[in-house]
Amino acid sequence: MTRFTLTSGKVIVKPFNKIWIVLFVILIIVVVLGQYIYFPEYLTLAEIWPFLKKMFSPRNDIFGHRTWGDYFNYIFTIIPYYLLKTIKMSIGGTVIGSAIALPFSVLAAKNVFKNKWITSPFRFIMNIIRTIPAAVMVIVAVFIVGTGNLAGIIGFSLFSFGIMAKMLYEVIETSDMNSFEALESTGANKTQAFRYALLPQIFPIFISYLIYVFEINIRASALLAFVGVESIGSIIQVGLDGGDFDYIGGVVIVLTFVIIIIQLFSNWIRGKLQ
Amino acid sequence: MIRFVDVKKTYLNGVQALKGINLEIHDGEFVAIIGLSGAGKSTLLRSINKMIDITEGELYIDDVEISSIKGKELRMLRRSIGMIFQSFNLVRRMSVFNNVISGRVAYHSTFKTLIGRFPAQEKILALESLEAMGILDKAFARADQLSGGQQQRVALARALTQQPKLILADEPVASLDPITTIQVMDDFAKINKEFGITIIANMHHVDLALKYANRIIGVKDGLVVFDGKSTDITEDILVNIYGRTLKHDEVLGE
Repeated sequence: MTRFTLTSGKVIVKPFNKIWIVLFVILIIVVVLGQYIYFPEYLTLAEIWPFLKKMFSPRNDIFGHRTWGDYFNYIFTIIPYYLLKTIKMSIGGTVIGSAIALPFSVLAAKNVFKNKWITSPFRFIMNIIRTIPAAVMVIVAVFIVGTGNLAGIIGFSLFSFGIMAKMLYEVIETSDMNSFEALESTGANKTQAFRYALLPQIFPIFISYLIYVFEINIRASALLAFVGVESIGSIIQVGLDGGDFDYIGGVVIVLTFVIIIIQLFSNWIRGKLQ
Repeated sequence: MIRFVDVKKTYLNGVQALKGINLEIHDGEFVAIIGLSGAGKSTLLRSINKMIDITEGELYIDDVEISSIKGKELRMLRRSIGMIFQSFNLVRRMSVFNNVISGRVAYHSTFKTLIGRFPAQEKILALESLEAMGILDKAFARADQLSGGQQQRVALARALTQQPKLILADEPVASLDPITTIQVMDDFAKINKEFGITIIANMHHVDLALKYANRIIGVKDGLVVFDGKSTDITEDILVNIYGRTLKHDEVLGE
């Protein structure tokens, strides 16, 4: 609490912001709990180096003799095949999930709907869906539709929906509502006012989130393999099972390039939309 | 014609903004509402297109009582009334043309407007509104590239595109510099005369109100304390409306 005494004799008290107490308590809890977290002591840099070498050079031991030619062949032919499957599922999931997230995020935005009875249920649904880990969603999808691409698309759709809906309603809540008011004053209904006043404002951010979610999906797709859906994760799985760490290294290299390309594309399109 | 019958408005926080307004505003009038800030000018204006709902009394527009209408009827009412705001309320990152054509969305079904296509004659109407406001050459510029005065003209063009019978203006020139203020007020006068559209404007600058409006309504503390021709206004009447002599920022002083 801070007190200010003005020359007129008035005393003004600036109220203490309780958030700092809360944050301090959380900090203490984290520090205390941190004492009990176990860090393996053997993992040193000296141990990591040989492992990196195994990943980024062709395997050469009694279980496998490969050349650099094999290594690059792997990167340029086999990995792209699985990558393409992964990208297809990611695009499908991102587009479907985000398209459903858009109307949901409007219904959850408190500046568009002043009534809590409208926004709260939608926020609740969104929170529930976001809480479910992507892995669980995919497993459920596999149970329902089998291990085809569809399972991946359904899993990614739900996963994308969770992220997108939350990020979007927060953007909508920070947009300029003056133009929305103007549209309502012309007789437009809420959907029309959103379409003409808010959508143009959030559109560039929407696109940039779309690409970001797509990127997350590509990376998350590794786990699809572990529930039986063919994806880039299949290679990681095979690599782990057989000790073929050069396969995994290849995936890391390819994914790095893919993510960089997506980033460049994202920057470019955002520049165009400004 | 607009008719207020003992209209009262009490906000949820207990503030009584309107304490029994009785008024009649006829078609084709140019009315300026003057008074201190907080006197209820904005509430009075916004109750006409139901951007604010009144709590008591009756409000008739063309003999239709509007305090109970809602849904489609309400949107049809709003469609026939243009509104101009102090801060222009354009979508800043959208083109001028798209801002102006958005005055037409209420004429179409939601589904049609979602796609964003408008009939050719409505596009021409939008361009003609811009032409009437003298900013046709800016039609495809982004709204935020325009000066304040130009943005307010875009807002006027949007209102014209609605083909309204009435335009409400809430402090339309309060955030403009003196020169553009005159230009925008001239545009209002033009709309009033050439298009025969009724104009009701809240005015901060009293001398502007007297110069442009034919009729002045003085509001004080939620009540109408003066209603008459702008030529009838005297120093004493202004002192009565404002409770004091005018401050220098309340006159534009050309």
